[in-house]
Amino acid sequence: MPLELLLALVAGGIAAIAAILHLSGRSERAVLTAETARAAWLRHCPGDSIRNVRPAADGQAALIAAQSGAGLVWAFGAATVARHLSGAEVSPSPNGLRFDFNDFSAPGLSLTLTAAERKHWQALIAAARAAA
Amino acid sequence: MNGTLSYPDVTQLAVPFFIAAILAELLWIALKNRGGRYETRDAVTSLIMGAGSVAEGLLLGLAAWGGLMLLWRITPLDMGTSLWAVLVCFVLDDLRYYWVHRLGHRVRWVWASHVNHHSSQHYNLTTALRQTWTGTFTFMMVVKAPMVLLGFHPALVLFCGGLNLIYQFWIHTEAIGRLPRWFEAVMNTPSHHRAHHGRNARYLDCNYAGVFIIWDRIFGTFVPEQDHDRPDFGLVHNIASFNPLRVAFHEWAGLFKDIAQPGLSWKQRLLYAFAPPGYSHDGSRSTSAGIKADHLARHPEDAGTPGFDS
Repeated sequence: MPLELLLALVAGGIAAIAAILHLSGRSERAVLTAETARAAWLRHCPGDSIRNVRPAADGQAALIAAQSGAGLVWAFGAATVARHLSGAEVSPSPNGLRFDFNDFSAPGLSLTLTAAERKHWQALIAAARAAA
Repeated sequence: MNGTLSYPDVTQLAVPFFIAAILAELLWIALKNRGGRYETRDAVTSLIMGAGSVAEGLLLGLAAWGGLMLLWRITPLDMGTSLWAVLVCFVLDDLRYYWVHRLGHRVRWVWASHVNHHSSQHYNLTTALRQTWTGTFTFMMVVKAPMVLLGFHPALVLFCGGLNLIYQFWIHTEAIGRLPRWFEAVMNTPSHHRAHHGRNARYLDCNYAGVFIIWDRIFGTFVPEQDHDRPDFGLVHNIASFNPLRVAFHEWAGLFKDIAQPGLSWKQRLLYAFAPPGYSHDGSRSTSAGIKADHLARHPEDAGTPGFDS
């Protein structure tokens, strides 16, 4: 197959599939509730004992307090991912909190939180770290 | 036989079929409201990984081709190009695929390349195309050498490898449940391969087959998909990026970061590169064996069931 035709097929195919998926509503992100965040954490960390789940008001993430330590679970497209916060840098951002996990497979994450949420989450994270 | 034998590049020729099949699967899911799920960024990432893998093959495959042609010149054997030769080559190449794939899950150096194929939390036809960009650096091409030395022309070996990959495309779907028993007994199927993509403890390190599931049955790695324990797709530690560069290189980055830790012995550094994924010098991580053991500690009732029987 001529290279030009192959390139056109590949580029056109990817663009067409992306457009169809987006227009058919398949770009929506998962929304986390306390229940789904708990299930998502246990999926990441089977057998862990969860003490507290605090979803963000917009449902894009939840702070987890568990026997294995503090963690964050967040929407990743229609699915979820999770990471422990040990070793992560958590810093205030203009709209909430910024998480840097020092992990090439999990680049930094900026969460939108209300001012009250941010203050509460910072206190919870600090308490979890002090207890560790 | 001279050295100029050529076969069509079947993976390139199959591109229009791949696109049409993806659209057909998507339409099926939309109409039936079952049979899998698609997510825009996940699918686009998979497709870009597929395109990149083809490009990597075009750019770096020449070195491997040169090596195989060198072997072809020195081997006294020539199996020819008859239909029988093609069939035997196809079966032997599938056996080769089984072992390379098994190494791809059991040796971190090879897993670093293969991991991206398992990095989607979705399982649809685009997942089939989420292929490696770094296969050349695993040096697994050397496993093709015995076939060339046995008298199969490198072009025929690569042709059979291409057919093998095309076969595996259609089994990356949830739209097909189970096929007739005789087919499930001999061939790799969507059901068997869903189990292979499962991150559940039960399904770790099983069903490495490309075309014929018989290799898993022979070598003791077969685990049938269980209706009461549906495969949960993705990695034990799922990645949090749709960026193709991160998808392609994240395990390599982790591997070299581990190797470079201060205070390790040379043996520990080598184990970080070549031991099974999940190895750690301080026991802070779990290999698949450890994950299965942890699961059985929580669920002793699963002992002796498929995936937990050794």
